Amino acid sequence: MKEPAMNDGSFLPDFCSRRNASALILFAELFALSLVLAFPGEDRWRALLLTSLFVLWVAIGNAVVLCLARNWLARQTPLLSASVSYGIALAVTVLTSLLALALDRRLHLGLLGYGEVTGFILRNTAVSAIVSAVALRYFYVQHQWRRNVEHSAQARFEALQARIRPHFLFNSMNTIAALTRSRPEVAEQTIEDLAELFRISLGKEKTITLDDELDLTRRYLEIEKLRLGERLHIDWALASDLPMQARIPALILQPLVENAIYHGIEPRTDGGALRITGRPGPSGLEMSVENPLPPANAPKRSGNQMAQENVRQRLSLAYGKGARMTVVSENNQYQVNLTIPYSAP
Amino acid sequence: MNILIVDDELPARERLSRMLATIPGCSLVGEAGNGTEAISQAENLKPDLVLMDIRMPGMDGIEAAKHLSTFKEPPAVIFTTAFAEHAFEAFETHAVAYLLKPIRQQKLEQALNQASALNRAQLAALGGAGRTHICARVRGNLKLIPIEEILYFRADQKYVTVRHVSGEVLIEEALKSLETEFTTKFLRIHRNALVAKDYVQGLDKRADGSLEIAIKGLDERLEVSRRHSPEVRRYLTGED
Repeated sequence: MKEPAMNDGSFLPDFCSRRNASALILFAELFALSLVLAFPGEDRWRALLLTSLFVLWVAIGNAVVLCLARNWLARQTPLLSASVSYGIALAVTVLTSLLALALDRRLHLGLLGYGEVTGFILRNTAVSAIVSAVALRYFYVQHQWRRNVEHSAQARFEALQARIRPHFLFNSMNTIAALTRSRPEVAEQTIEDLAELFRISLGKEKTITLDDELDLTRRYLEIEKLRLGERLHIDWALASDLPMQARIPALILQPLVENAIYHGIEPRTDGGALRITGRPGPSGLEMSVENPLPPANAPKRSGNQMAQENVRQRLSLAYGKGARMTVVSENNQYQVNLTIPYSAP
Repeated sequence: MNILIVDDELPARERLSRMLATIPGCSLVGEAGNGTEAISQAENLKPDLVLMDIRMPGMDGIEAAKHLSTFKEPPAVIFTTAFAEHAFEAFETHAVAYLLKPIRQQKLEQALNQASALNRAQLAALGGAGRTHICARVRGNLKLIPIEEILYFRADQKYVTVRHVSGEVLIEEALKSLETEFTTKFLRIHRNALVAKDYVQGLDKRADGSLEIAIKGLDERLEVSRRHSPEVRRYLTGED
C-alpha cells in the first residue's frame, strides 16, 4: 500500500481577487502598448485603441474563466492544470477573435482591415500561445519558489516542535529521577544521552554523519529501553559497508524510530520488536524502520503523521526528488523506507 | 492509607514507591502495569487510593478509573502523567486530582491529603476514548470482558445480559446508552437487543414471516423486530 502523491494545481494566481485582476489588466494594456510601439505605422492611436480593446477582452475573458475554474484546477496535478489553463487561454483568444469579427461586421464599423478571417484568428492564437506559455511558466516557477521558502520556515519550526516530544522528555526525566537512587551510574549515563539528543535537536547543524545519527538513535533507544523494559526489542540489521562518514540531514532516523515506538510499541501491552535496517544502495543510502501496528482497539494517539511528514519535507528540501520515503503497511507491520543520496566523503 | 500504584514503566513505579515510603500513614499494598491489572489488583487488595498513570497500553488510566468508580466502595484516584495536554483543562475545572511526573514530594503529600473518590461530574469530565471492556460482577468478583468478545446485549427487565464468547454475564446498564456508546460496532435489531456487527452471520426468515439474525459461533438466533427490520436489512446489504 503506497501513499498517494499530493495534487497541487494551484500555482495559478487567484484571478478572482481584485488585485490580481487589476494587475492582469495593467499587463494586458502594457502588452498592447508594446505591440503598437513595435510596429510604427499611421494612426497609432487608432491601432492602440483597437489592440488594447482586443487584448483586454482576451485578458478579462481568461481571468473570468480561470476564476470560475479555480477550485477544480487546484485539485488537479500541476501538469493537468497547466494544460487546461493553456487550452482555456487559446480558446478564449479564438472566441474573442470571432466575437470581434462578428461585431465588426454587424456594426459595419470596418475597423478590422486585417485581411482574411482565418489569418486574423491564427495570428491572435499564435500570440496568445506564446504569451500564455511564458506566463504559465512564470507563475509555476514563482509558486515553487514561494512554497520552498514557506516549507523551509515551516520545517524548521515544526522540526523544533516535533523533536521535543514532551512525553518523551518528561518521562525520561522521571526515569532519571528514579534511577538516581537505585542505579546512579545509569542515571548519569542517561543524562549524558539525553543531553546529546537535545544538543543535536536544538543545534544549528543541519547535517551530521551517518555514524553520529546512528549513535544518536542508539542513545535514544537506551533511554527508551529503561522506560519500557521487556516491552521493547530492538533488532539492528546494518550492513558492514555503510558509509559511516557520509553526511545526511540531522535527525532523520531518530524521529522515525521515536514514531515507531510511540505509535507501534508503547500502546501494546506486551510491546513488540523494532527493526532498523541500513545498507548502501544504487540510488543512495537505504534505511528502514519497522514496527508492529498497535492493536485495532487501542486508543488513538495524537500527533499522527506529523513527525513522518516533517522528515519527508526535510528530505525533499535537502534532496528534491533524489530522496525517497515510502510507507508500507501490511501483515500488521508498519515499515518506513528511506532512500537518501549521499556524497562520498 | 492503603495505596495501589499503577504505571506501565517500572522506574516510575519504583520512584513512587520510594517516595511513599517516606510518608507516614501510607502503605503500599500493590502495583499494576496497565488498566486491566489495576482493576483486578484493586478488587483483590481494596486500596483506599490508587495512583493511576494515564497513558498505558491495553486499557488506559482514564477507562480504568471509570471502571473503579463502579465499585461498591470506590477508591480515591489521583492521576499521574508526564505531560498535561490541553484536555487537562477539564481536569482542572472539575478538580480532578493529577500529578505531573517527575512528581515532587511536596505535591504528592498535598494530593494524598486531599484525595477522594471521583464523583459523577468528574467522571463525566474525564472524557477519554470509548470503553475497551465491559465491567461486570460475577458472584461478587469483577469480570472484565473485552468489547471484541461480545456477541450481543439483550435487555431483560432491569438487567442487560451480555453474551460473549465464553459465556454470559449480567450488567445494570441501559441498552439505549450502550447503543449510543457503541453505535459503530453494534446494531440495534430489537427494542431489547443489540448485536455485534462483526458477529452477524446473516438474516433469515422465520415461518411466521418475521426476521431473525444468525450469529457466528451460536446456534441461538435473535429475533429482529418489524420496526428495526428495514435498518438491519439496509446494514446487511450495504456491508455485503
